[in-house]
Amino acid sequence: MSGLLSIGKTGMFAAYAALQTTGNNIANANTPGYSRQHVELKDSPGQFSGSGFFGKGVMVASVQRAYDALLTTQAVNTSSTSAADSVRLDKLTQLETVFPIGSAGIGAAAGNLLNAFVDVASNPGDASARQVALSNAQELALRFRGAGDQLNALQTGVVQDVQAAVSSVNSMAQQIGRINKEVASLKGTGQPPNNLLDERDRLVAEIGKLINVRTLAADDGSMSVFVGGGQNLVLGSVVSKLKVVGDVYDPSKVQIAIAGGSTDSMIPPESLTGGSIAGLLRFQNEDLTQAARLVGQLATAMAGAVNLQQSLGLDLGQPAARGAPILAVGGARVLTANDNSGTAAFSATVSDTTAVLASDYELTFDGANYAVTRLPDRQALAGSPFTPAALAAGVSFDGVSLQLTAGTAQAGDRFLLQPAAAAAQGMQLVLSDPKGLAAASPYTASTGANNTGTATVASVLATSPTNTPNLQADITFTSATGNYNWTLDDGTTVTSGTGTWSAGTPIALGGFEVRLDGVPRSGDTLQVLSTAAPAGNNGNALAFAKLGDALIVGNSAAQPGLNITDAYASALADVGVRVQGGKTAAGISASLAANAEAARSDKVGVNLDEEAARLIQFQQSYQAAAKILQVAQSIFQTLLQTGGG
Amino acid sequence: MRISTANAFNTSIEALQDRQTKLVNTQEQMTTGKRVNRAGDDPAAAARAERALAREARTTANQRAVDASNNAMTLSEAAFGDAEELLQQAREQLVAAGNGGYSDADRASLAEQLSAIRKQLFAVANRSDGAGNYLFAGQAASQAPFVDASGGVQYRGAAGEAQAASGEGLPLTVDGQRSWMNARPGNGVFETRAVTSTGTAWITTGSVTDPSALTASTYNVQFSVAAGVTTYSVLKDGLPTAQTGMPFTPGQAIQVDGMAAGINGSPANGDNFELAPASASMSVFDALDRAVADLKTPLRTATQIAQSNSSNVANLDAVLSQIQGGRSQLGATLNRIDGVTGRLSGLKLAAQTERSNAESLDMTQAISEFSNQQTGYDAALKAYSMVQRLSLFNYLNP
Repeated sequence: MSGLLSIGKTGMFAAYAALQTTGNNIANANTPGYSRQHVELKDSPGQFSGSGFFGKGVMVASVQRAYDALLTTQAVNTSSTSAADSVRLDKLTQLETVFPIGSAGIGAAAGNLLNAFVDVASNPGDASARQVALSNAQELALRFRGAGDQLNALQTGVVQDVQAAVSSVNSMAQQIGRINKEVASLKGTGQPPNNLLDERDRLVAEIGKLINVRTLAADDGSMSVFVGGGQNLVLGSVVSKLKVVGDVYDPSKVQIAIAGGSTDSMIPPESLTGGSIAGLLRFQNEDLTQAARLVGQLATAMAGAVNLQQSLGLDLGQPAARGAPILAVGGARVLTANDNSGTAAFSATVSDTTAVLASDYELTFDGANYAVTRLPDRQALAGSPFTPAALAAGVSFDGVSLQLTAGTAQAGDRFLLQPAAAAAQGMQLVLSDPKGLAAASPYTASTGANNTGTATVASVLATSPTNTPNLQADITFTSATGNYNWTLDDGTTVTSGTGTWSAGTPIALGGFEVRLDGVPRSGDTLQVLSTAAPAGNNGNALAFAKLGDALIVGNSAAQPGLNITDAYASALADVGVRVQGGKTAAGISASLAANAEAARSDKVGVNLDEEAARLIQFQQSYQAAAKILQVAQSIFQTLLQTGGG
Repeated sequence: MRISTANAFNTSIEALQDRQTKLVNTQEQMTTGKRVNRAGDDPAAAARAERALAREARTTANQRAVDASNNAMTLSEAAFGDAEELLQQAREQLVAAGNGGYSDADRASLAEQLSAIRKQLFAVANRSDGAGNYLFAGQAASQAPFVDASGGVQYRGAAGEAQAASGEGLPLTVDGQRSWMNARPGNGVFETRAVTSTGTAWITTGSVTDPSALTASTYNVQFSVAAGVTTYSVLKDGLPTAQTGMPFTPGQAIQVDGMAAGINGSPANGDNFELAPASASMSVFDALDRAVADLKTPLRTATQIAQSNSSNVANLDAVLSQIQGGRSQLGATLNRIDGVTGRLSGLKLAAQTERSNAESLDMTQAISEFSNQQTGYDAALKAYSMVQRLSLFNYLNP
């Protein structure tokens, strides 16, 4: 009798425990990180009698959570990658706005500036046409500066985001450390602390979204977490701190490190494969840096070309002088690594704006020589390594002049040369007077009245910024094949000589070059004089208008450069391709992450229909077990009645 | 296989949001009419559109330059027309002055009229475009090109012409020196004049009989009358030639080295006529000034009058033809401007088409895609609401 009662009781207990667990599952169906739990039942050992073993009911062995180590790790890793890609895409979409297409872009502003000189050329004395050109120059400077500011704001945003992410990682790592300690202390109970384990898995997944991690379970039930190339973040209950440190060259950029006892150990960005921190650092180191180089290259080239043309013309001043610069840009700079032990200091200037590339250069000193590497393609520069003596004398490459100005370096010292990274942000309009625009060519050429050939003057342009106010050059053709005699009077000395003209090539003498249309005949004359009336001359404005077609960006020995429109178009295409690539990567990794998460949660998550079915199942079990008690009671009654007779 | 209810809800919601995002993107494209709104939408097309836009802007600017040139050339053409008319009037006066019945006073009054015409011509030559640019100032358009100076009108502009920034070599100004100052006097090749003429002889403007025989030398025809016999000798650069002591009959043409000039009337002993190569140095104003001065000179012989009239008319014809030459050149330029304008509008259209091809939206395709997405979204919403309504709990009776 008591046996049957006891069996009924265990059955009711077990069914109640199962109902409780099912209820808990239903209640936690939407709790993040919650794993479905189930009750493990076990039958009680039987009692031996002569006729065999009689069962003694059921007992609850344990409450277990559904868990799959492989699927969980996969879900963490894929969501880590997805987080990196998606945060990079977010940032890239913001970067894209720095390079707007159409009339809002830098390219259109540059075109407007040069096209304004068309109207200056049509009416060189017209103050309003000049004002329009100057306003367009102002607009161009504003757009470049705006782009520079936007890039800086993006960099600031990256730093803030990394800092926020790092502090979240640290606080979650602390929690994992605490959970590890508790889990270890509960080890003795022999039962799994399901909610603690769920919480720990959730924290690992959350950290994984910020920075990719590897985990290792220990025998005591604790879980160690490693970041980067295997640095400990959590080891048992010991927690290290992740730290944001400034870039070795540029303190406005960030890197991350694990704080150690006395020194921090840097986590190289290459070792980060996932998490939003990895995405942010990749954006900072690859996308943002390259965008700044591209904008800087454009700013340097455009300002250089405009200022050079300006210096080759005469302004409307009294007396007319060579034009003063219109635009100023931030210059080249050399950044010193913060861990250098030597005292070497460098200076750099841009010597040829048309040859500046969208690159930075890293100098590393090996104790004897400086090796120079071009970034981002990491090609050794031609002529590298340079001796300190050569650098002290100054070396020039890619339109930059670099000089070792003071001190000596120690082996391992590093420097970063940035020819144009600061150019756009420093762009300023430095000419305020419309009369200062140099629309006039300093020289005027005319063909003789008695010429019999068809030659006319196509253009006469200054080739040097040195002004010669009283120049007179007379050229007389002496043959039908283009031979000529020339005399050149620069106001103080008279020189003479001979030359040969051929179609398409200019005649270049002291500081000017004349291009001819048509063909001169023997006896024809050509005279070049310093422009007497600069107010009415438009020669230099014509040259300004032609700058739009000139290859002023990124000329190198290996390949010709681009004109300003093409250069801007290719810069925006570069960013566009990054965005497109980022979009594709983010799409793929998001769908991988979604699949992995679906697989994991299908395994460990709660299905309400299932729980509903279980409810009925366990309710029936409970009712059946209760029936056992009823039967036992009824048997007992039967016995009592029989006995009471 | 089990489905996690929470995850199923999340996935469905994400899928719905994804569809909604796509719908909004298509809507944005349809509102802006552009397929490429950002560089990342299609980098290659964005770059193409950027280039096309630059080309379009450049073409528009070039057209402005062409318009400026057109304006200046039209004004200059009108000025040349005025100048031509005035010179025709002057020529009529000058021809009238050859009337043998005219007195010195008549000629003086004609001279007054010529002076008035000269004043008008001077104003025409210094005409500006109304914005301070002088039409005939060549490469120095900011200052008046012609000034009255001692010794005649001087050109203060710069020879040559200023060009508009059209990329087509179109002029903004006219080379005033060439049109107004550089006529070749005489018959255009050589110029005849009487160095000494004490008799009744005068020399015609002459003509070229053999261009290949022309030299750059100056010739003199010297007459000597001895015992009623008139002979002449031709000197080349002061040196005797084969024609020495040749007999002369009035009206006879003197021929030398491809040139012929008639000498009318009777030369006196010692008369000397010159045939010099013409250089392009005769200005419109010089021609008129000479004529005025000649007409104002009283007490001239009929020979002198005939001689001066002949050369003055020839000079006027020379400057007139120089002006006409300039005018016809302008006509050709204006023609060219028409051609360039047509070509530029073609280029502009091509650039616009290119830009539109690169970045514009195919509306038909977009609308069909939009309605497709709309249907999809609608179906997804319906399916979501229907599937999520299904739950075993609905069938459990309390």
